[in-house]
Amino acid sequence: MAKRTINLDMTACENREMRIGSITSWDGSASELVEASNYEQRGKGEKQKGCAGGKGRLCQLCELNMPFSQQTMCANAIVGCQIGNITDCILIDHGPIGCSANHARFNLGYKMGLVRRGKPVENLHIFSTNLKERDMVFGASDRLRQTIQDAYDRYHPKAIFISMSCSTAIIGEDIDSIADEKEAELGIPIVPLHCEGFRSKHWSTGFDISQHGVVRQIVKRNPKKQPDLINIVALWGTDYFTDILKPLRLRVNYMIDMASYDELAQASEAVATATFCHTLGSYMATALEEHFGVPQIDAPQPYGIAATDDWLRAIAKIVGKETETEEYIRSEHERIQPKLDELREKLKGLNGFVMTGSSYAHGLISVLRELGLGVEGSIVFHHDPVYDSGHEHQDTLKYLVDTYGNIPHFTVSKTQPFQLYAILKRVRTDFVIIRHNGLAPVAAKLGIPALAMGDEHFPVGYDGIIRVGEILLDIVARKKFNQVLSRHTDLGYTNWWLSQKDPFILARKPELLNEPIHEENGGKYDG
Amino acid sequence: MAKQTKSNTIVHPRYGCAIGAAYTVAAIPGAVPIANCGPGCVDKQYFGLSGSNGFQGSGVASGGDMPSVNFGENEVVFGGAKKLDGLIKSSLKIVKGDLFVVLTGCSGELIGDDVASVVKSYRNQGYNVIYADTAGFKGNNVRGHEIVVKAIIDQYVGSYKGKRRKTLINLWSEVPYFNTFWRGDIAELKRVLEGAGFEVNIFFGPKSKGLSEWKNIPKAAFNLVVSPWVGVDIAKHLEQKYGQPYLHIPVLPVGEEATSEFLRKVVEFSGISPDKAERFIEQEAHEYYYYLEHFADFFAEYWFGLPSKFAAVGESSYNIALTKFLSDQVGLIPVRQIITEDPPEKYREDISALYHDLTDGVEIEPEYIEDGYLIEQALYDTDFGSSVPLILGTSWERDIAAERRGLLLEVGTPATEEVVINRSYIGYRGALTLLEKIYTSTVGGK
Repeated sequence: MAKRTINLDMTACENREMRIGSITSWDGSASELVEASNYEQRGKGEKQKGCAGGKGRLCQLCELNMPFSQQTMCANAIVGCQIGNITDCILIDHGPIGCSANHARFNLGYKMGLVRRGKPVENLHIFSTNLKERDMVFGASDRLRQTIQDAYDRYHPKAIFISMSCSTAIIGEDIDSIADEKEAELGIPIVPLHCEGFRSKHWSTGFDISQHGVVRQIVKRNPKKQPDLINIVALWGTDYFTDILKPLRLRVNYMIDMASYDELAQASEAVATATFCHTLGSYMATALEEHFGVPQIDAPQPYGIAATDDWLRAIAKIVGKETETEEYIRSEHERIQPKLDELREKLKGLNGFVMTGSSYAHGLISVLRELGLGVEGSIVFHHDPVYDSGHEHQDTLKYLVDTYGNIPHFTVSKTQPFQLYAILKRVRTDFVIIRHNGLAPVAAKLGIPALAMGDEHFPVGYDGIIRVGEILLDIVARKKFNQVLSRHTDLGYTNWWLSQKDPFILARKPELLNEPIHEENGGKYDG
Repeated sequence: MAKQTKSNTIVHPRYGCAIGAAYTVAAIPGAVPIANCGPGCVDKQYFGLSGSNGFQGSGVASGGDMPSVNFGENEVVFGGAKKLDGLIKSSLKIVKGDLFVVLTGCSGELIGDDVASVVKSYRNQGYNVIYADTAGFKGNNVRGHEIVVKAIIDQYVGSYKGKRRKTLINLWSEVPYFNTFWRGDIAELKRVLEGAGFEVNIFFGPKSKGLSEWKNIPKAAFNLVVSPWVGVDIAKHLEQKYGQPYLHIPVLPVGEEATSEFLRKVVEFSGISPDKAERFIEQEAHEYYYYLEHFADFFAEYWFGLPSKFAAVGESSYNIALTKFLSDQVGLIPVRQIITEDPPEKYREDISALYHDLTDGVEIEPEYIEDGYLIEQALYDTDFGSSVPLILGTSWERDIAAERRGLLLEVGTPATEEVVINRSYIGYRGALTLLEKIYTSTVGGK
């Protein structure tokens, strides 16, 4: 524990763009992004060359700033779908009711997750302080006190979390003090989360904020080691990790979704922390490593054969089961080979396109390439040039390029459907793999079917490669529907925009906006 | 469950906030909403009003495609007008549309951005760009719906001094997207009104001609409000602005008798000849009772038990419409009716009165509750007698329906176990679909 990058003394965690230089707007090839990211140097905290004047880890990659933007998620929403999905704790949205408008969506995911993990299925209970205009004028602290009390009286939760919204942040609600006051009164942890939507340019800061709150106030301070327990920082995915880790005789402790208070609290007692996605898991893994000595797995994520091998070896090293693991890896290779050969034959000639969160996309592309598919492009919703750990072998983008070759069109863009037409026109693809909403419907109208990767553990491990290969055959068949759609529907963008070849043209040539609008648009000509 | 009383707290929300009215704009063919708010605001409204509400989808310029300023720290500190200006300018260049509506949320209103002057420069250049103040703290999406409709009338439709067409009606009824079955329902209202001899501006959805209908608002003979309260303020506004009269029919018509009575009322108010309407009614009634007669075999002879007592939980327009139909036309017994969209106090007495005369000798006192915990508590305490409880509600009632071993039909926001394309539960045809849905959910030992 030489260095500490994560400060648990503060209630707020630093934004991802400030902490690790994350970007949301970039276009080039994957190998160019590997080079520009300079992961290794950043990981060591060394100074960076570049336009920001060499500020070490903080140096920003140069971004393409577009004047046009479309709706996205926010950090507050991420906190809702993380902390709001803990089984025996309560999250309170401190804001107007609109900040809670998506609870039914989170409920759908939560219930699905409970089914997948074999837990009793019931509705989630996120609370809202339901603020009105008078609360904006006179302050909303008493509303928050009331709602904390209501949550406590109704469900007797093991902890209560408070999420800040844009409006409560702007009017200066002091959620830290109210949390302290009610914590003393009720005797359970009350955790303030500074996740107002305008705070960070990317919603993934919401993962860090959620994890910060859990590690700071829930995780046990005096851990008693459980040598067979491994933390997996995850979302709602099916429990494939137990199977994968069975030969290592490890029990999986999934965090944060669908976990209980006690499951979260024992995170400091685990033998190691791993994740299905470093973008998601790195903050928590690093916090646990720096503050509780729980090592994290210094390996890429377990997608594709090579990375799964490396991932298992890294865990084996920590738990001292190297010999058994080598035997396991060998037998797994042998077991999947016939099926893999069969799928490679069936999928021959197909191309895929991945649009998901950052390092998860790197993993999915590995799986596609492992199946022999072409991948000419991808969109990641942001890019972390380094992860919080700075660990060398976690550089998933470099690993992807080194193992499976370059991806010529690699785009960093925060769910911006208007760019998708130009982006898809420059690649060949038979399907897209997506997470988050908004992009797949545009692809659908272009005749391209989507695999909505709602079970994010689906592609994990050796069997994950087979699962993906099999489902892709089903997905590709759906193009019949998409072809019908493409023959009869419109994208809703002007011909001028659709004629642009460069999805970032307005960042490079903002003066184009000053040219007259040639089409009849904006009702200018309707008299 | 711990006994609780009403506070500001809400669990299991059943509506979005005022900026959810971006979906009122999105429902108008040719109109484009521009969200002047934080990054997550309209994404949350999408899930609340469409994605988790029958999976209604988004079409163009809404859902993920909706232009949004995505307020960052910079805009909160230095103001968002500049970024909004860039967004409007680029939207006009990139997004197809005939009317662009800027909806400002909490952040923009709290920091006091001068949206009007940003919008004005585009209006001065001749573009149809208007704005509405829809901060979430101003109220829910129903309130936002009325704000936005008035903004379009005042800033886009404009003044009119010409004649009115005797057979043209403006229809104000369900709130797009928020009412899960709005598309099918509005289409059915249009169909029956046209059958009776009217032309109808419906303003929203695939059967609307879009902005030309809005431009024609002042040409209509009158405004027809078919809702317990939503739209009454709009009709009053139009009365003041254009001297246009309005007819308020508070209960959406469901079933032959209610729909025929509805048409006769509208015809009488308009003063047109009833001949066409009567011929249409006769034809519709003939078909309706053909189906009802066949349904009657099942209803009379099904050996394995059917629900008798029912609760309705949801916004007032569907709540009273379905409660009335099931009480008056099917003979089910209402035992708990909870209105959830927080109607303004001034309308509550009139809304409650509708429940006092449901049918001969049947009345109930509706409750006004927005907090899901209290709603579930009320359903927990409801006496459904010995037959299987029937709950017309939302996805949030799943747990309590399971606990009461009841049947749940999701008929309002949110609905995550219904896929809704063009279904309707009102009018002549919708009533039959409603019977199909309810009784399909009961057969087979469920």
